[in-house]
Amino acid sequence: MSDDRQARIRELAQAALAEGRVDYVIGWKYGYNTSEVVPAFVRDAAEVDQLVWNPLAHHNLTTFLKRKMPDPPGARIGVCVKGCDSRTLVALLQEELVDKSRLYVIGVPCDGMIDRRRLEKEFADEIVDISFVGYTVTATTRSGEAREFLKEDILYEHCRACNYPNPRYADDLAADTVPEPDDPGRMWATLDEFEALSTAEKDAKLAEVFATCIRCFACIHACPVCYCWDQCVNRAAKPQLVSQKVETKANLMFQMVHMFHVAGRCPSCGACDRACPAEIPLYLLHRKMNKELYDMLGFQAGMSLDEKPVFQTFKIDDALGE
Amino acid sequence: MAQQTSTAAAGVAAAKGGREVKVIGILCNWCSYAGADGAGTARLQQPLNLRIVRVPCTGRVDPLMVLKAFEKGADGVLISGCHPGDCHYSEGNYYARRKFELLDRLIPHLGIEPERFRYTWVSASEAGRWQQVVTEFVNQVKALGPREGRAL
Repeated sequence: MSDDRQARIRELAQAALAEGRVDYVIGWKYGYNTSEVVPAFVRDAAEVDQLVWNPLAHHNLTTFLKRKMPDPPGARIGVCVKGCDSRTLVALLQEELVDKSRLYVIGVPCDGMIDRRRLEKEFADEIVDISFVGYTVTATTRSGEAREFLKEDILYEHCRACNYPNPRYADDLAADTVPEPDDPGRMWATLDEFEALSTAEKDAKLAEVFATCIRCFACIHACPVCYCWDQCVNRAAKPQLVSQKVETKANLMFQMVHMFHVAGRCPSCGACDRACPAEIPLYLLHRKMNKELYDMLGFQAGMSLDEKPVFQTFKIDDALGE
Repeated sequence: MAQQTSTAAAGVAAAKGGREVKVIGILCNWCSYAGADGAGTARLQQPLNLRIVRVPCTGRVDPLMVLKAFEKGADGVLISGCHPGDCHYSEGNYYARRKFELLDRLIPHLGIEPERFRYTWVSASEAGRWQQVVTEFVNQVKALGPREGRAL
């Protein structure tokens, strides 16, 4: 099944490059070995065979569009998107931060990505190959040790709770759409444990979790809808909203800035969680925000091109406040 | 001396937890600030714990300002602006309302008691209402006492 999609992605990319419709295609390829997938920029139709699709292709490639689009000026870009990626792309399109006319979007219906970090913890040695047969994942280490896992057991939390695996916006689809649960409540279930805590316990938990943040900014770099870059208030000295000290309070404030700045655009794609080297559960904040936005206004980020981001508009009869 | 102590100061001295609570009030220039001014002119008794930040419009208020105040040691934050529909800039508080509501819902999630944050609307002519709002709010913050050694 995944091979079909891979072949189709290659076909679509090949056609687009060969016909000159795009200057390059952003997709996924293998890294140093077949145990890891990394983003790929394919500029030549003869090189499309490096593109892969498998449950390791977790990268949200719309991140590469956010900085300055198109890059270089005038370029036409092909980009592969999964369901969650497409919602971040829609969020960028809603704000006209990317130029739709210069974009060719290959949508890939997704059936969940696996958490490679969780596999790494199962082995003492380095993993050099991960292969997929149906629902079985086989990981092989350098020393030759091979073990099988059920894909279901090692899925990312985000994928387990995913409601919209099909792209919301794409020019071409690499496969038929997969069934969608369409029940936002599934997403929020992961918050239950934290929400059940008392105020003091929540405070203690946050302090514990954010003490490990080293402020590497990987989360905001990986985030497809966090795009201020050198204007980022997190790194501004004047006015200094966030202290540069690496300490719990400042770390938490830093995450608050990120959270509020992506409010209404974050579809909980989980790119920040996956990027975090300290494995901080950032979804505690972002998913809660999305939950409340859904509860307040029935809003979910990046669902349709006609919508406006929730904080850039208002209704006179919003039933909020006193 | 004891007889000269005003009732307001006596109320302040009764605060729980050793030190006085600090409450930040973020008020819009056109309604709530004028309302608070009116309350002062009318000599309505108000708690002394409130420090006021005057902003041009509640639409200018970033939810992060509130979190920053908490980070810097505020014990409570009160936001007040024009009633929806009365904004000096027509629609600033409609935008603001959505942001504040989200913040209001996230405050308890961040390990801060929900009673420490309130957003409300007070018009320039509502000096009496201002007195009531600020007294209520400061009293509920006092009941919780100062925030010490918190994550945020």
